[in-house]
Amino acid sequence: MVLKKLIRNPISLIGLIILLGFILVAILAPVIAPLPEDVLARNPNADPYRIPRYGFASTPTPPSKEHPMGLTEGQLDIFYGIVWGTRTAFKVGLTVISISCLIGIIIGSVSAYIGGKFDEIVMRFVDIFMSFPFLIAAIVITTILGRGLENVMLAMILFRWTGYARLIRGNVLQVKQDEYVMAARAAGVSHIVILIRHILPNTIFPVIIQASMNMGSIVVTAASLSFLGLGAPEGYADWGQMISYARNWILGAPGNPLAYWYTVVYPGLAIILFVLSWNLIGDAFRDIMDPKLQG
Amino acid sequence: MLTFITRRLLFLPVVLIGVTLMIFVAMSFLTPAQLVSAYIKSPEELKNQSVSELVVKYGLDQPIWVRYINWMKNVLKGDLGYSVSANMHVTEAIAKRFPATLELAIFAVIPVIFGGIWLGTVSAKNHNQPLDHASRIFAIVGWSLPDFVFGLIILLIFYGLAGWFPPGRLSVWADNIILSGDFVQYTGMNTIDALLNGRFDIFLDALRHLVAPTITLAYLWWAYILRITRSSMLDVLNKDYVRTARAKGLMERLVINRHVRRNAMIPVVTVVGSMILGLLSGVVIVETVFDYKGIGLLIAKGAQQMDYTLVLGTSLFYGVLLVLTNLVVDVLYAVIDPRVRLE
Repeated sequence: MVLKKLIRNPISLIGLIILLGFILVAILAPVIAPLPEDVLARNPNADPYRIPRYGFASTPTPPSKEHPMGLTEGQLDIFYGIVWGTRTAFKVGLTVISISCLIGIIIGSVSAYIGGKFDEIVMRFVDIFMSFPFLIAAIVITTILGRGLENVMLAMILFRWTGYARLIRGNVLQVKQDEYVMAARAAGVSHIVILIRHILPNTIFPVIIQASMNMGSIVVTAASLSFLGLGAPEGYADWGQMISYARNWILGAPGNPLAYWYTVVYPGLAIILFVLSWNLIGDAFRDIMDPKLQG
Repeated sequence: MLTFITRRLLFLPVVLIGVTLMIFVAMSFLTPAQLVSAYIKSPEELKNQSVSELVVKYGLDQPIWVRYINWMKNVLKGDLGYSVSANMHVTEAIAKRFPATLELAIFAVIPVIFGGIWLGTVSAKNHNQPLDHASRIFAIVGWSLPDFVFGLIILLIFYGLAGWFPPGRLSVWADNIILSGDFVQYTGMNTIDALLNGRFDIFLDALRHLVAPTITLAYLWWAYILRITRSSMLDVLNKDYVRTARAKGLMERLVINRHVRRNAMIPVVTVVGSMILGLLSGVVIVETVFDYKGIGLLIAKGAQQMDYTLVLGTSLFYGVLLVLTNLVVDVLYAVIDPRVRLE
């Protein structure tokens, strides 16, 4: 039903189409951008997330037949980086969302179900986590644990679960006093079963939807950390990192400010379209969920 | 009202202790040798004493709660350690850089609040008409442009192509004047200092350097405030008292300005807290893109060089700053919306 509405709305339809494109690129990455044969000949188990290098000069090379989007700083293939970067984006987004959502749902629902002092303490704890700017927290964690995508994901999980915990808590508090819960309790059903079988199925979906709509912002945050040089390792297929490579070339060559446009335009476009698709769907979604705003 | 504020104030130390605990827990993942720099008073100490001597001297071999109390004593004295990458005490580095960031944030907040609220109002008044759709698309696109991509595009267009708004905080000539003895730095905010010193040319130069980072920092929140104002205005437009106001023949402009907007502002104020949070995170990226020497660039550079002392000290400063601004926002909220006080 919701999907039908999303397709009928032109704005969210565009979003869905772009997103589908990204999903296809991510799935078909080994077909669209296979590792070059000479890399495979040297090392058959080469990591496909490492962008192949075509030389060692630092100045970018403009697009050509072999490299349709050109080579960025360090002669890394931009097209290859964008295709595999799509996989990186989904990998980071899905990992962070699923784990932080799981943690948030467990802590939030248990806290609301138990209630009282326990709930109060847990929520103050959540408040403290939420009062910290997320990017700063991620910088602290990656400085201490070291650079790397795993640490970026860990940092995001540590600071993302709180939002979901708060959401599910509100929902659980609402249904906690409902008659079917009371009935189950009167019938002597154990607390864990009540929570899993009766309460969660009625409260979990808005949280999961909300969480999946955060995909865009999570990918942007991960990319920002890579842009700052704290995320993906050198040469890893990651959009944020590719934009950070473009940074030194953004002002072009003397007399030709647009000399290296391709280093920023392609990776920039990839990340903008990715986030845009999620936001288009999310915006239409909010309207469907909130009939007050429909005209 | 008073009980509301007292309750918030009573909770304040708890949050502040929570923030320090979080930073301290992060610190405890470091080895004592790495931590030494957070305790030394000057770089000479590292030359004259071995690391293991320093570990004992500053009690880094003590149990964790003793270390926390010792560390807190230092923090309360304003001693956050010595930063190797900035080559000065962390507190000193923060004091030096913070005015620049504050200046940037103030310049960004003004267009965000006024422009966003105005566009949101226009959008709601023309609900579901082309203007509304246009502003909606503008907001979604704005919300989808990551700040580091947008910043680079701005830099490319307004500096690379047009040459109008250079990166940095000041041109070299203006910097030289500021660092010379004749120029008094009252606040550390270049625009204000320039005016106080009667140097209008420096004021213009500072302004020129502020335009690009301000736009980059502001546009995202502009879109956000626009959307919130719009939906909250639409909400209020359907209220009975608005119908009454219209029925009694009030001019539409007065209905919007007096009855609708005032009530529609309440949800907007709630997001001001998260906006300040967002702006203060945003400066890390924006200052990096435009090489603007504020606290954001300080922490980004520190993190790249693994300067734990600097990163931890600055983030503690950040945390405390945010807790305090949130408190102010909450109190303001209670002033605006009487319902909150009664809760």
